[in-house]
Amino acid sequence: MIELLASALVLASMYGLVAVGISLTWSSVGMLNLAQGFVFTAGGYVAFLFAQYMAKNFSIRDGVILSLGVVFLGMLGSAVAGLVVGGLAFLPLHDRINFPVRGLIATLAISIIGTQVFMLIFGPQSKPLPQIFGIKRLKIGEFSIAYGQIGTIVVATIVLLLVTLWMRNSRRGLQMRAMMMNPLGANMVGVSVRTTGMIALALSGALSGLASVLLGQIFFVSPTSGVQPLIVGLIISLAGGLGSMPGTVAAAVLLGLAEAVTARYTEQSFVPFVQFALVIAILTFRPRGLGGVLEDVRE
Amino acid sequence: MSLLQMEEVSSGYGTMRVIHGLNFSIEPGERIGLVGLNGHGKTTLISTIVGMTGWQDGSIEFMGQQIGGRRSHGVGRNTPKIVRSGIAIAPQGDAIFPGLSVEENLDSGAYTDGAWKTRKRRRDSVLEVFPPLRSRLKQSAGTLSGGERRMVSVGRALMADAKLYLVDEPSLGLAPKISIGLVAALCEIDLGDGAMLIAEQNLPLLSGKCDRILGMHAGELKEDVGEALGDIPPAAEMS
Repeated sequence: MIELLASALVLASMYGLVAVGISLTWSSVGMLNLAQGFVFTAGGYVAFLFAQYMAKNFSIRDGVILSLGVVFLGMLGSAVAGLVVGGLAFLPLHDRINFPVRGLIATLAISIIGTQVFMLIFGPQSKPLPQIFGIKRLKIGEFSIAYGQIGTIVVATIVLLLVTLWMRNSRRGLQMRAMMMNPLGANMVGVSVRTTGMIALALSGALSGLASVLLGQIFFVSPTSGVQPLIVGLIISLAGGLGSMPGTVAAAVLLGLAEAVTARYTEQSFVPFVQFALVIAILTFRPRGLGGVLEDVRE
Repeated sequence: MSLLQMEEVSSGYGTMRVIHGLNFSIEPGERIGLVGLNGHGKTTLISTIVGMTGWQDGSIEFMGQQIGGRRSHGVGRNTPKIVRSGIAIAPQGDAIFPGLSVEENLDSGAYTDGAWKTRKRRRDSVLEVFPPLRSRLKQSAGTLSGGERRMVSVGRALMADAKLYLVDEPSLGLAPKISIGLVAALCEIDLGDGAMLIAEQNLPLLSGKCDRILGMHAGELKEDVGEALGDIPPAAEMS
């Protein structure tokens, strides 16, 4: 039971991080970022390069410094990738007509090109990331939970809590929420849509990067490893209500739980069915998602 | 030196020219009414000052700095910079943030560093102008009545540490009694060396309360129409 709960929460943490990023960009920038998978993978590869460099030059293969470095550089790499996406798809297009569609196409292009570039540089083989939380397991009675799982849940919870507090209490957070509600009005009170949009893209990138490093504890990093998180992140951000942090986190927990239970008692291949059915059910009864803060979803 | 100096300013949207070669200036301490019918360019004039029209041409100097110039794209790209240099706007309708509380809506108007640090004091003085908002501070702005929303919109502009306040049609869509109160409150605010421009269709609301009343007709300014219409009684006596 505890094991099931642990794996559900691990999934929820990862999905939550990606989904909050997608939700943030979608609601504030007004662009559905299909390149979020590319951003996700970029962080994983940056972290991998750092680990490889440390192992080759300093023979450091584990320890606190390596772990912190892997997490930090993974987040930084994805944040930079987010800024690249912003520079290519957001800044040149955002005040042209039909930006949502143009942005969608531009980010799709970045996603495809990015995947091929990773394929060219790193090859199709998966790359392992170092185990940042160690490989020991915590024993509670007859159950045992890996430290990696506990670490993932704790780190994701803390980071999401910090982002929520920041959104609620800081000046930048207020700007970002203002931009979600009414970008034109935000412009008129002096909030630069361009600057704030780039901050949102970098922040959602950093969250994806963290998720990427955490996922690297279980799976390997490969050129296409961002696809699954992108899809699940998208449906979670929709089910949670665009722009709502608590709603998104709740949806992530719900879908993580659904995935863990389905995989445990039936087969892994049923997971997408159950997830989509759940999301459709949520949207049927709450069309604006669980959180539903936005008066109307941006067109 | 004038606070705002416009020379040969034209602007419009796409192939349409709405403002035709305006020359116009605002002096410090002035409260100016801008009257005219629907579709004659009042809102476009305000949008032009903050760079939110489709295109514009001609010199606009604000406190000695050029904020106008020739521009054919990038709608609103300069607006945040212009707003932060000291021009606050209360747009037509109310571009408020429906999901944020009244308090957060007001705070979002205090964008410049100086204004942000003193936002509590500023909020208090806005609440003195619009007392009905006091009990609604924590309420989501989307649930307010039309009059209260307009108060939030105008109050948000007043939160800014601005030298020039541009208020666009404060009475639009409001019951007469409420709009009289709103405009009266606007006219009582102490501007210091700042200035305020109120665009309004309802001339009696402004008559006798502004330093100058300019008429806007087909994208051109008619100088001081206040005197010609001097025999119109103020709104309060009419109702």
